Amino acid sequence: MSTHHISTLSTLLSVAGALLALTFLTVAVTWFNIPEPFNVIVAIAIAIVKAAAVAMFFMNLYWDDRFNTIVFLLSILFLVIFVGITLLDTLFRDAGLPVY
Amino acid sequence: MGNHSVATGKKSHLQHHFVDEDQQFESSKFGMWIFLVTEVLMFGGLFVAYIIYRSWHPDLFYMAAQELDVALGATNTVVLIGSSLTIALAIRAIQLDKIKAGINYLVATIGLAATFMIIKYFEYMDKFGKGIYPGSAYSYDGIGHDMAVNFFSIYYMMTGLHGIHVVIGIGLIGWMTIKAKKGLIHSGYYTPVENTGLFWHLVDIIWIFLFPLLYLID
Repeated sequence: MSTHHISTLSTLLSVAGALLALTFLTVAVTWFNIPEPFNVIVAIAIAIVKAAAVAMFFMNLYWDDRFNTIVFLLSILFLVIFVGITLLDTLFRDAGLPVY
Repeated sequence: MGNHSVATGKKSHLQHHFVDEDQQFESSKFGMWIFLVTEVLMFGGLFVAYIIYRSWHPDLFYMAAQELDVALGATNTVVLIGSSLTIALAIRAIQLDKIKAGINYLVATIGLAATFMIIKYFEYMDKFGKGIYPGSAYSYDGIGHDMAVNFFSIYYMMTGLHGIHVVIGIGLIGWMTIKAKKGLIHSGYYTPVENTGLFWHLVDIIWIFLFPLLYLID
């Protein structure tokens, strides 16, 4: 943990390379028709890995004070609560789907 | 008291309510992270709208996504990843006092961000040409689904808010380029570029999720 981390050139280039490879992968998996729930799961899983790589090595969370990571993860936690509680309503409506 | 830097001889930016430059830097960066949390939650509202409508109309999302051009979306993903790399390289160059290289990387980042917006412009124009507008202006009948407009309202809101962030990012990076040219940022004080970089990487992260969710529904 250091306040002023200077990334090496090879770190930055390999993270960018990994991101490009994962972008290709996320397009390539759509060429095989993965059945319904799993295609979304695969797409989101790849996106989470990419986002984590950006956050850790481009946004320096890996070398930073851990508190910044906790704050960022809390925003994700609250987003999950937001989605989860809303779906508890919208997925279980007896009256059927609204027109809009 | 202590408002000068012995080591570098360059102008110190230390304000009196901080113990030292490191504490000031950490506080500023922490403030930026708090702001990024509010950004996640603002986009979060749109992601919630997306998730609810997709859970209600999975068939619509499949049909409507066929109207989006995967090649253009993938190109834009690559462009944004490239811009994240160049701004990271810009920060590294400035940390090493290679200001000239840092300015070049910042300008390259602006170029990539502008490329993203130009591709987005052609995508939007293609949709508008077909009558695919958000809300009540929608007049396209190529998708056999009553709710087709809802997908595109969500599409325009998500990509539109993201696009506004890209434009703001271009402005911030341009500002950093001017600061660097004036010699106001260097290895001893680069907080503004660091925070601009954090903002730019978050814009990249949001697109990383938008691309598969909007373009790659198979």
